[in-house]
Amino acid sequence: MANKKNNNYISKDKIGNNYVSKKQLVKSNDGREMKDNDGINEKNTSSKNIILSVKNASYRYSDASENDYALKDVSFDFESGKIYAVRGRSGTGKTTLLSLISGLERCTEGEIIFDGKSLKDMNLDKYRNSDIGIVFQSYNLLPFMTASENIILSMDANGLKIKNKKEKAIELMEKVGLKESYANRKVLRLSGGEQQRVAIARSLSYNPKMIIADEPTGNLDKQTESEILDIFKKLAHEENKCVIIVTHSQNVCDAVDVIYDLKKVKEENKEV
Amino acid sequence: MFILKNAWISIKRNKGRNILIGIIILIIACACTITLAIKNTAEDLINSYKSAYDKEVTISFDRANMMKDFDPSQIEGRENAREKFDNIASYTIDDVKSFADSNYIESYYYTYSVGLNGNNIEKAEIELNNNMSNGFGRGKANNMSLTDFTLTGYSSVTAMSEFINGTYTMNEITDNAWDIAFDGNYVFINQELADYNNLDLNDKIKLETDNGNIYEFEIIGIFKENEEGNGEPMSMFSNSANTLVTNADAVANITNSEEINATINPTFIINSYDNVEKLQNEFYQKGLDENFVLQTNEEEATSGVSSIENINSFATTFLTLTLIIGGIVLFVINMINIRERKYEIGVLRTIGISKFKLTMQFVSELVIVSVVALILGAGIGAVSSKGVSNSLLASEINSSNERDEEIGKNFGGPNMNGGMFDRGDRGEMRGKGMPVIEAYDSIDAVVDIKVLLELLGIGLSLVLVSSIASMVSIERFTPLTILKERS
Repeated sequence: MANKKNNNYISKDKIGNNYVSKKQLVKSNDGREMKDNDGINEKNTSSKNIILSVKNASYRYSDASENDYALKDVSFDFESGKIYAVRGRSGTGKTTLLSLISGLERCTEGEIIFDGKSLKDMNLDKYRNSDIGIVFQSYNLLPFMTASENIILSMDANGLKIKNKKEKAIELMEKVGLKESYANRKVLRLSGGEQQRVAIARSLSYNPKMIIADEPTGNLDKQTESEILDIFKKLAHEENKCVIIVTHSQNVCDAVDVIYDLKKVKEENKEV
Repeated sequence: MFILKNAWISIKRNKGRNILIGIIILIIACACTITLAIKNTAEDLINSYKSAYDKEVTISFDRANMMKDFDPSQIEGRENAREKFDNIASYTIDDVKSFADSNYIESYYYTYSVGLNGNNIEKAEIELNNNMSNGFGRGKANNMSLTDFTLTGYSSVTAMSEFINGTYTMNEITDNAWDIAFDGNYVFINQELADYNNLDLNDKIKLETDNGNIYEFEIIGIFKENEEGNGEPMSMFSNSANTLVTNADAVANITNSEEINATINPTFIINSYDNVEKLQNEFYQKGLDENFVLQTNEEEATSGVSSIENINSFATTFLTLTLIIGGIVLFVINMINIRERKYEIGVLRTIGISKFKLTMQFVSELVIVSVVALILGAGIGAVSSKGVSNSLLASEINSSNERDEEIGKNFGGPNMNGGMFDRGDRGEMRGKGMPVIEAYDSIDAVVDIKVLLELLGIGLSLVLVSSIASMVSIERFTPLTILKERS
């Protein structure tokens, strides 16, 4: 495990991130910094390269009562070149947080700042098809399309103007470990791992600054999980992307640079 | 481009569903084309038919009003009725001119009729009573004595020529007849009268009043009936062998020079049938006795197109029903379609395709399928509209004739079209004193640019209405919820 972490930081060092800590940081949504396994906390926050800040974000469903929050007063920062895990038990608001930072929902209170701009002031459709890529546990590919068509669809949604989109799609597929011959296969003929690779390739099609993944390895075996995580690590550490993974998986948590722990709102209230 | 590309991919992917939608739109388009073609053609026919008529108003005696207090069992009642009848104020030419000075009236003319006896001619022995068809119950007609001839003077050359050319056929006419017809004592006479008295053009006839004064008229035209009397009672009344047609001044000269009763029959050309009641009140204010009422020729003007109007009404109803049912069916299919494609909507929204673009994609799919179906439907409709419309009209005429025959049988007469019209075998409507009217027995429902534009409008409206399902769904669906459901 220690080797793995060291490897991670070697990668980060290569791309010049100013990390003081060489250990994994664990923070919780109640604002407390928790000790990691080795009891060392993150330091030197002034030199952070923050791409996304969640500032006192709360979310309450429209049909919920006044104090019934799905997510309450959460503040996290996400930096480029790092891979994050957002973890928590069921009902802690992981998916809600993901939907807020991916622009699928808007905060009821607080705000989310992406690259210096509040999401409140941004066109969220444009945000989703330019600035971030989203990867889901169930892949969410269009089953009636081939692997390359799914990727091209995303390029089209972005309005990307390149001559040979299929060539670009194949290039992306190869980047995530899929052979060219998969390009013309209907996605339903691909395995779970292959579909997830296509989903990742799709999310990279317009070269976003941030990848948000919701349980991306939840449906995959350990070997495939490991391969998928490697892809994410490369994207973070070699291409300076910010990768946020919402997960239950300890394997994923072990692989990331920073873990954000979400606690149930009610529990938190009790603690307060 | 991206929207159209995606729409096309989706159409190809969902062939079955799109063929079903296409067939429904094709049927709607076909039905709409036929009904629109029928409707437009029928409306054109009706309008042109009605525009061929002047909107005429005449003054009639209101017998029902007159008789409402009459109790034949009471001597007193009979006397009261007689007194009332004698006291009815008739109207004069000056009154007619005063009535005509109205905003509702575009123009007017009148006939001025007087009964005279022959001096050097004899009446043709056909007519039962020539005065019975003239102004019965109007003006001073009740006082008019029985005479051999009726001299009818027209105030307008147009009205006179329309009367002669509409009701009769001019057999012979002098070269300058219409130039001099209003310049003195000139008459048009019936061929039967001419034959009976061996009269020819430019012959002079002498007519005598009850007072023994003789007036000479020169014949400038000889007309004959369009159709011989067919033995029906009404045609006997209408026979005008002993009617002499001249100008109103010639009649006025006779009536002014001696105490003689004449009948004035004014006809007012109005701008709209809607104003008749207002006009009647205006007439009353100007002194018209309230035992007179105004009557229009609206019924006559529309009777020739009644079958077409029925077809038009049927077409309108059919079109409305088609659109309502078609719209509902399309809406439901689209609702099902949207539910089936909820996941797709979720994915597309997640990858950042805006609601607008997504809605446009769904609408585009429907528009592409609709346009193809509309073109095919318009083609099929264009080919079949003529046949369908004529078949409908033939069926309508048949059932109308059967109704007439049934009524005729029940009431013991050959038909019950009343005294104003006889319906010929070939749908000819003939008004007494009105132009010969050809009732329509065919309708060439044409699919023209107007029909095509209307069809396009209807098609696009249907597409939009049925797209409301997708628009609302796309607006309501939150991508995350959709994807969660799927997961």
